[in-house]
Amino acid sequence: MMLLRAYLRGLREGRFILGYTLLLSLTLFILAPFMMIVLRSVGKGWFGRLWLPPQLTLDWYRWAVEVGNIPEVMKNTLIIGAIAVILSTVIGIFAGWAFGRRRLPGKEVLMAVILLPRMIPPITYALGVAKIFYTLELVDTHLGVALAHVSVCAPYAILVLSATFEGLDERVLEAAGVCGANVLKRFVYVVLPLIMPGILASMLFSFTHSYNEFTLTLLTYGPHTVTLPVRTYLAVGDGYWEITSAMAVIMVVPSLLILAIIQRRAKPEKLVGGFKGV
Amino acid sequence: MIAPRHAHRSTLTTVVLLLPALIGFLGLFCYPMLLTVVLSFRPEGQTVGWTLENYTRFLADPDGRWVILLTFILSLGSTALSVLLSVPLALILREKVSGHRFYRLMVIVPLVIPGLIGALGLLLFWGPRGWFNLFLLQFVPFVQRPVAVNYTIHGLIMFYVWLYFPYTCVTTMSALESLDRSIEEAGAVAGATRWQVLRYIVLPLITPGILAGSVLTFMAAFGAFSVPLIAGGNYRPLAVEIYKQISIPIPAHWSAASAIAMIMGVLQVGFLALYMRFVRRGGITGGAQ
Repeated sequence: MMLLRAYLRGLREGRFILGYTLLLSLTLFILAPFMMIVLRSVGKGWFGRLWLPPQLTLDWYRWAVEVGNIPEVMKNTLIIGAIAVILSTVIGIFAGWAFGRRRLPGKEVLMAVILLPRMIPPITYALGVAKIFYTLELVDTHLGVALAHVSVCAPYAILVLSATFEGLDERVLEAAGVCGANVLKRFVYVVLPLIMPGILASMLFSFTHSYNEFTLTLLTYGPHTVTLPVRTYLAVGDGYWEITSAMAVIMVVPSLLILAIIQRRAKPEKLVGGFKGV
Repeated sequence: MIAPRHAHRSTLTTVVLLLPALIGFLGLFCYPMLLTVVLSFRPEGQTVGWTLENYTRFLADPDGRWVILLTFILSLGSTALSVLLSVPLALILREKVSGHRFYRLMVIVPLVIPGLIGALGLLLFWGPRGWFNLFLLQFVPFVQRPVAVNYTIHGLIMFYVWLYFPYTCVTTMSALESLDRSIEEAGAVAGATRWQVLRYIVLPLITPGILAGSVLTFMAAFGAFSVPLIAGGNYRPLAVEIYKQISIPIPAHWSAASAIAMIMGVLQVGFLALYMRFVRRGGITGGAQ
């Protein structure tokens, strides 16, 4: 037995070296592109076979802000994101309550139907959305682009919130009722604190999806509603890698903030859609 | 017994609660889908008449068939690689190795980063002047010129893996975490080696989780748009082909684009249905507890 244990330990240590190699290469694989972007955005005269840029500069950021019109673009992105988050959270709270707390005939089927926009490539319905928005003159309006984003964000909101509401313990509400709290008080002091994390998580995920959404934005944007992903795409087309990199760095900061919050507060499974076992 | 009146009111409330979702669903998904279906059967640029020409033109064209094949090569290739990467990774991260929180964070980074940014960084890193080629040129003998990674099929598959493997990895990790350790211990006590425990106990039990995650990776890769748009070069999968139809010609080829979109949707849903059947069957034989 002792021998076996020693043997297993040896095997495990051998595996550790292998494991750490894998983990380190993963880290490099994931992070190296970002290092390249950051370096490219502050580098000057970086040509040929050089590992690092010879001179540092902030010119590209100035260019990105002045020529790329980043403040305006950021404003658009945030407005559109806010509208999309509000709309999908409202949809999510109502539908989530129905899914999580009420008897619903054919609940699974209905849920599958609601999640259908996630099963079908966005570009297939983005075409129709664009066509409709052109006739309704919603193209190139903040509301229009945000509405297009709702079709992606709302399924997430419904999924997260129905799970939250389902987890709400009936007995806690009853206890509050027994203690003499009326409906309003029960909602404000008992229900709200319990569901707030879920609502915040849903808002966070909705915002991330709106912020990153490219397909639907590209088909519904106009000169007044350029968002950050579209701006970056246009910059890539222009071919100025340094300025594009500077824009990318500006754009990635909110994503990293969100990442930090998610890592602390929420389970990453929710981010991939919460499908557990098909 | 529920009072009928009360039951009626309760149903009404449920319907009212579902109303915003239904309006959104019908207006932002069903109606656009319907419009795409109708457009795909209209002659190009007209609002009346029915035709199958948009479909036959794309499917009869060797280029069109290549686009479909390419989409499958890219999505299936990246799904397979994601599984190969995720399983060992999840197994390692399950042991709480030092810094495992950091590595977990690394796994979800591509999920929150806009795909375009990821693609841009990957293009820079693997490009002829990127660190990858610098490393090859300086430290690996017999490499005289930069190795082409960008704008090739294998490069594109690797970019897809970077972007979409987290779906598989996160799902695999959560499947592993919910696994009861005592089952493995029982296996070890019964005399199974670590490898046998892994092969005959752990892997079959987490297979449903792996497959569920790989479905997500496949769907993301099949519908990938932003990445092949900027990093695909001459390789244009279905989503990019659709966008080209409405962005390059003037006036835009809406009907042709809609037809390709329909083909794409049918292919994805059909493939998913097949996959799910396969998974269910594999899940029952492989995942029996």
